[in-house]
Amino acid sequence: MPALLTSPAVHTTVVSERREPASGIVIVGLRAPDLAGAVRPGQFVMVVPPGGERCATALAPYECDGERVSLMIVVVGSRTRELATLAPGSALTVFGPLGNGFDAAALGDDVGLVAGGVGIASLLLLARALREREASVRLYYGARTAAALVGAEAFAALGCAVTLATDDGSCGYRGFVTEPLARKGGEHGALAACGPSPMLRAVGRIAVAGGVPAQLSLEEAFACGVGACWGCAVPLGRESAQAPAFPAPSFGERRDYVHARICTEGPVFWAHELRW
Amino acid sequence: MVTTPRITPDLSTNVGALRLAFPTLMASGCYGSGEEYAPFVDLARIGGVVLKSVTRFPRLGNDAPRLVPVASGLLNAIGLQNPGIDAYLERDVAKFAERPCAVVGSVAGFSVDDYGYVTERLAARDEIDAIELNISCPNVAHEGETFACDAALAERATRAARQATTKPLIVKLSPNVTDITEIARAVEAAGGDALAVVNTVRGMAIDVERRAPMLGNVTGGLSGAAMRPIALLAVWEVAAAVRLPIVGQGGIETARDALEFLLAGASAVSIGTANFTDPRAPVAICDGLSTYLNEHGYAALRDLVGAANPTFLGTR
Ligand SMILES: Cc1cc2nc3c(=O)[nH]c(=O)nc-3n(C[C@H](O)[C@H](O)[C@H](O)COP(=O)(O)OP(=O)(O)OC[C@H]3O[C@@H](n4cnc5c(N)ncnc54)[C@H](O)[C@@H]3O)c2cc1C
Ligand SMILES: Cc1cc2nc3c(=O)[nH]c(=O)nc-3n(C[C@H](O)[C@H](O)[C@H](O)COP(=O)(O)O)c2cc1C
Ligand code: FES
Repeated sequence: MPALLTSPAVHTTVVSERREPASGIVIVGLRAPDLAGAVRPGQFVMVVPPGGERCATALAPYECDGERVSLMIVVVGSRTRELATLAPGSALTVFGPLGNGFDAAALGDDVGLVAGGVGIASLLLLARALREREASVRLYYGARTAAALVGAEAFAALGCAVTLATDDGSCGYRGFVTEPLARKGGEHGALAACGPSPMLRAVGRIAVAGGVPAQLSLEEAFACGVGACWGCAVPLGRESAQAPAFPAPSFGERRDYVHARICTEGPVFWAHELRW
Repeated sequence: MVTTPRITPDLSTNVGALRLAFPTLMASGCYGSGEEYAPFVDLARIGGVVLKSVTRFPRLGNDAPRLVPVASGLLNAIGLQNPGIDAYLERDVAKFAERPCAVVGSVAGFSVDDYGYVTERLAARDEIDAIELNISCPNVAHEGETFACDAALAERATRAARQATTKPLIVKLSPNVTDITEIARAVEAAGGDALAVVNTVRGMAIDVERRAPMLGNVTGGLSGAAMRPIALLAVWEVAAAVRLPIVGQGGIETARDALEFLLAGASAVSIGTANFTDPRAPVAICDGLSTYLNEHGYAALRDLVGAANPTFLGTR
């Protein structure tokens, strides 16, 4: 994705609302005027843990309007548990926006969006940008169960067609969302996806097999989130415009890829350029 | 009520001949070259940046995953990813001249000769104020840490680097040894100017769902608060064994943590993992140190170095 010219900063925000649309999924709204104006689709922020325990948490701004930015948090461990209990009025420090988001222009005007679980959070701003220029958009959205399919209505309201899938069949297709995608994905001009790695790998395979360009937003454990620690590496083909300049290794190692930082060169990469 | 007179305490410190306006170095591998953190912190308010370690040849680094957040800390196994000294000198080093703080180059190696060669080439550059010799990387197969775990090898690596530069030479020790004082003495004998105490503690995590190690490299280095008491004891022991100035590190997050290391005998501290929690940590630490000095009637931070350690051998 082309490098974005945003200016990241430390933002001291205040929690303005807390919703729990499903058990273990919490939406936290923040009053964050400067951040709201700066975020681009597919970027993320690092959230400073209020208790100071462990590294900051990478989260994607979910909704972004006026002075408000919201985060969708799925509780999986100690940091997300802490953030999910924040009450309105609490202070929350975040830094960002960070990373190069989706390249909406390069997706053309017939786009399939693929979300797995909380990956939906990274796609709403992209859907809005695509619909603003009247692209035709279909959302493929998979989750464990019906209750966890949070936020699909917001995409429908934007005028996106929606295909749902659940592991337990409680809503929509029974099975992985990549199965309906495999049947219909080839009909789109381009795909953009965010979700767990196994899903992204499957989307990447479908895209490459069908000759459809796909932008994948990767999720890995981050430490710094700002490109300082090289902890979030992913193998990327040397031919990629996003590949960091790196001399060929001297001996023993493969030469056709380099390690890119998901937080800095990504988190969004072209599926066909990844060597993972 | 007694009011303490408000003075601006002197936070400056010396690590051998390296003069620091603030006692806070940013730990190698945790701070890039400083520019990555410039949007979030005023680099003029930190003592200096220790750059990511560089080796003779390019290294792609370890396979992912390279990070596992653990209770009160972080496991990492980056594997010394770096472009090698040639590309580094050509592309990267010139921009370090802009940093408004000290810039310490970090040299890693796989042979005594590597340490001498890379030190000579890096230290020759004006942008570099001092060299830290990373003889203690736990994340490269078999070789990296060997130098910090064997007094004779530590001595030879230090001597090779010493002969390659007259700039301040800080040698970084490993906690993964039986007797750290033996290694510290070997470095002192070989002409090292200072010691960084300590690098990460070896560790691992297992994914119970996949029933496999979490890190691509299987083992990693534990940093952050989880290692702090281990690092503090290492500083205490080294301070009693050699006269060299010490850069204390391992889990320092707050001014109180930094004070523990200074009182044990460190002349300065390095901060790594705490930046990942909050990039404002280094400035908050200096503010907290100023408050402490004021409240306790000290004019200069240097007066506190080793103040809690009756066995402290160094000079303030
Ligand atoms: C760019 C980006 C954007 C993101 N956006 C969002 C977002 O919008 N919303 C969101 O909710 N998340 C998002 N994430 C993911 C989020 O950052 C992580 O879920 C969060 O950091 C987890 O922190 P934690 O402390 O709660 O969990 P951790 O303790 O770090 O645990 C993470 C997961 O690993 C599992 N785990 C831990 N130890 C073990 C073990 N020994 N064996 C097996 N499994 C183990 C845990 O059960 C948990 O599922 C994003 C990540 C990235 C990189
Ligand atoms: C992600 C990461 C990368 C590191 N890379 C290096 C390195 O290249 N060279 C080195 O000497 N130490 C490296 N270290 C060790 C740190 O410099 C520091 O000594 C250690 O993390 C303890 O301090 P902390 O708890 O404040 O992080 C690294 C640590 C981390 C967490
Ligand atoms: S998380 Fe540190 S470089 Fe990406």
